[in-house]
Amino acid sequence: MKKVRVFRYLLCVLVISFLFPTASARADVRSQSPETKTPIKHFLVLMQENHTFDNYFGTYPGAEGYPEGTCIPVDPFDKSNTECVEPFHIGDRPIEDLDHSDSTFNLQYNKGLMNGFVYALNQRNQNGALSMGYYDDRDLPYYWNLVDEYVLFDHFFSSDHGGSFANHMFWVSGQQGGSRVTGEGYDDIPTIFDRLQESGISWKFYVQNFDPEINYRTAHLISGNRASQVIWVPILNMARYLDDPELSSHIVDLNEYFTDLENGTLPAVAYIAPAGASEHPPGSIRSGQKFVKSLMQALMRSTSWDSSAFLVTYDDWGGWYDHVLPPQVDEHGYGMRVPAFLVSSYAKRGHIDSTVLDFTSIMKFVEENWNIEPLAERDGNANSFMSAFDFSAPPREPVFIPFERVVKEERVEPRRYVIYAAYGGALILGLLMFIWTAIGSDIRRKMSGYFRRRTQPEVPMP
Amino acid sequence: MINWRSWDRAIVARIIGIIIVTTVAVGLRVWGINQLGYNTDEAVYAGQAAAIAKAPILKDIFPIFRAHPLLFQFLLALVFAFGVSDLAGRLVAVAIGLATVYMTYRLGKLLYGVKAGLLAGLFLALMPYHVVVSRQVLLDGPLVFCTTLALFFLARYAMTQRPAWIYLTGVGMGLTFLAKETGIIMLGAIYAFLALSREIRVQIKHLFVSALLMALMILPFPISLLLAGGTRSGKNYLVWQLFRRANHPWDFYPSTVPEAIGFLVIIVGILGLWFLRNEKSWRERILLCWILVPATFFQIWPTKGFQYMLPIAPPIAVLAGRAIARWWPEDFSIFSLRIRRSWVKTLTVLVIALSIFLSSVQIITPATTGMFVAGTGGVPGGREAGEWIRNNIPEGATLMTIGPSMANILQFYGYRRAYGLSVSPNPLRRNPSYPPILNPDMQIRNGDIQYVVWDSYSAERSTFFSEGVLRFAKRYHGRVIHTQSVKVTLADGTVVDKPVIVIYEVRP
Repeated sequence: MKKVRVFRYLLCVLVISFLFPTASARADVRSQSPETKTPIKHFLVLMQENHTFDNYFGTYPGAEGYPEGTCIPVDPFDKSNTECVEPFHIGDRPIEDLDHSDSTFNLQYNKGLMNGFVYALNQRNQNGALSMGYYDDRDLPYYWNLVDEYVLFDHFFSSDHGGSFANHMFWVSGQQGGSRVTGEGYDDIPTIFDRLQESGISWKFYVQNFDPEINYRTAHLISGNRASQVIWVPILNMARYLDDPELSSHIVDLNEYFTDLENGTLPAVAYIAPAGASEHPPGSIRSGQKFVKSLMQALMRSTSWDSSAFLVTYDDWGGWYDHVLPPQVDEHGYGMRVPAFLVSSYAKRGHIDSTVLDFTSIMKFVEENWNIEPLAERDGNANSFMSAFDFSAPPREPVFIPFERVVKEERVEPRRYVIYAAYGGALILGLLMFIWTAIGSDIRRKMSGYFRRRTQPEVPMP
Repeated sequence: MINWRSWDRAIVARIIGIIIVTTVAVGLRVWGINQLGYNTDEAVYAGQAAAIAKAPILKDIFPIFRAHPLLFQFLLALVFAFGVSDLAGRLVAVAIGLATVYMTYRLGKLLYGVKAGLLAGLFLALMPYHVVVSRQVLLDGPLVFCTTLALFFLARYAMTQRPAWIYLTGVGMGLTFLAKETGIIMLGAIYAFLALSREIRVQIKHLFVSALLMALMILPFPISLLLAGGTRSGKNYLVWQLFRRANHPWDFYPSTVPEAIGFLVIIVGILGLWFLRNEKSWRERILLCWILVPATFFQIWPTKGFQYMLPIAPPIAVLAGRAIARWWPEDFSIFSLRIRRSWVKTLTVLVIALSIFLSSVQIITPATTGMFVAGTGGVPGGREAGEWIRNNIPEGATLMTIGPSMANILQFYGYRRAYGLSVSPNPLRRNPSYPPILNPDMQIRNGDIQYVVWDSYSAERSTFFSEGVLRFAKRYHGRVIHTQSVKVTLADGTVVDKPVIVIYEVRP
């Protein structure tokens, strides 16, 4: 009898799964949560563009920011020229896209002296002094508010000396890829997504304003900035991610990020590439913050918050000054430090993490958390940012971080003691008046009678 | 050992009377007191009290200084210092309501004797108007206590001519102002009474001292505004109140207040004035001044509110009590049955008491129609929706509601900021306590507003803004994340769940 019941149940499940393939597929995504080493079941990473740590957080209290007396020579090769440029607040000054080629890196790096920042850009007919500009909480209120609550990494380096593409390649594959002839592609390079696919771990590449028609085969035909999609999404340079529907279906528009959160179908690993809001100079850093805010808020109000970690970082230094000498692990890098911060319900509160990290550390974390073999030497040797989490505590409740900077000390609290004293005093005064009027007369009468008796001579007992 | 037999029958009757009055007064005020959550005004006053008490999150949402002085909020803050609770807030209001019933008894006793006092206390204890207001965290409950206190002091002065009582009248008026600044109009009643009563002699110097004491009592209001940092909000509100448009038609009070006081109570009071006209003295004059001055003022004043007329309730109760206590009909016979006058009086009291008792029960029973009138009680579903928000929506989130009424409730229970779409960006057209949403589209696109709330109560009052809110929900990928329903009874008697509050999640 029991066997018949079990058989009927299985039959029902089979029929339902055939009748409702969509529901089944959705359930499939949800069930794809292989064992993780940590409570993090969803890891998301957003790659913004072109800023250094000092440029964004060089004055952030407690972080390794500008050293005292920083002044970068205008010409480090001319000993007689003592002119130098100190870091300055950019504010509303117009900025430009500073050159950030390999050769500029080498000049700025200057064999480890880190004193060629102004000079290198002057050599490119740009205003080299601009590289010494920085932003602070007046310009980056949201990011500063975020890192007040979560984790800021102050030794996070770009993986490559060069610009966007090489660093994006490190981001997904742990290797640079090298420069190739247009149209050749990078199909031979394995990526973290191949590993995830093989292991049955759900993943997606969310792309803002995604155009599926733009890939390495067509990019040269596209005019304007839209062709940059193949830089931001390096796997669009790999034939298998274009031709295999099983793989290409994972590259989706950013809108799906929001619907996935709403439906509870967020994949285990998600890479996010921006479009207009990447903060690439001279783009608006305020727009970038609003973009990040929308992503954070969507995550925080979803059911995935309790099991997610969201890392925001920047693909390269963009020509800006950074004072920390990047360790050289091979001929490609590291490049300069870049801003990076982690938001998670398990992230330590207001923590500054100084572990030496780079983009391959992202892969390292994924590999550690989901127990995947490293892809390349770089990610195999990279440090992970596990130290940024506190898994001993329960997940933190989500808190929408305000967009404007609120400095706690500056908040003017009303003087409450005045209210207590004034109104309390009025009530006490009224009460005393009442007692004096209503009862006081009786007391006075009794007291006067008492004193009268006291002053009268005692009458001797008969 | 108490020797019961030695007790005067009159004392026993008085004690029984006091027990009855106290029992019905307490019973009607606490029965189902917390069935519904706060309405918008309650949420505002309780929010202010929480801000004074430095309650976490609420102190950042609710400003301490809004429109009115803070006497009641200060008292609430003393309770909220041990934890913010809507029930505790309402129990404070009930305690003040019971004190008002007691003062009405004392006033009636002072003017017309114990029986009149007990009957006045009974009528106020049962009166729907006072019952419904004293169950809520509103300023009008403390206000009417203070006005009755001042009236009592003035009557004592009229009776004794002792200057101390006119001084205390000044103190009472000061407290009245601190409870709610509109209470200042009772000065007109005092002036009218003293001007019309030649037999009550008052010296200018006594009046001066009394005025001085009143000013001293009022001082906490400007002092706290100046020293605690709220001058601007006070000035703005005064300007707005002076120039705001009428919010109700002219017949609002005639159509609501007599019913809330009780038609029979009013009729008996008027009949008493007529039939006992031979006994007329300053006693009736003081009561009539206390009724007619505020009634005339609020009838003329464009801004109307259900509870504004409440100060007239105690003197009306005293007049009704006096009518029955002092009215002595002769015994008479019907079909050879001798009807005693005491039976007639008892029956009259029972009929009046029963009529207002039933009205009170009806008015404090939560509405089952899904509608509500401001000032008459809580808002069904408001507290539950707010608590859902507190438990399910991230801290720091901001909501957009149809109007500020629902925004206040959701802020108090939800611990999240909420703004009303209907609040006008024109400073001349809005209550300065409410910040407007200057550009809702931009604020949603920037992620500054993340949730949109529609509610049937506000939608009933403003279809325009109701449609506006729904339009934003549709435009910005609105997704219903919570629906708060209440049980309502349809015309055919069927009970159904009616959605009254719908919360949408929106995103750019």
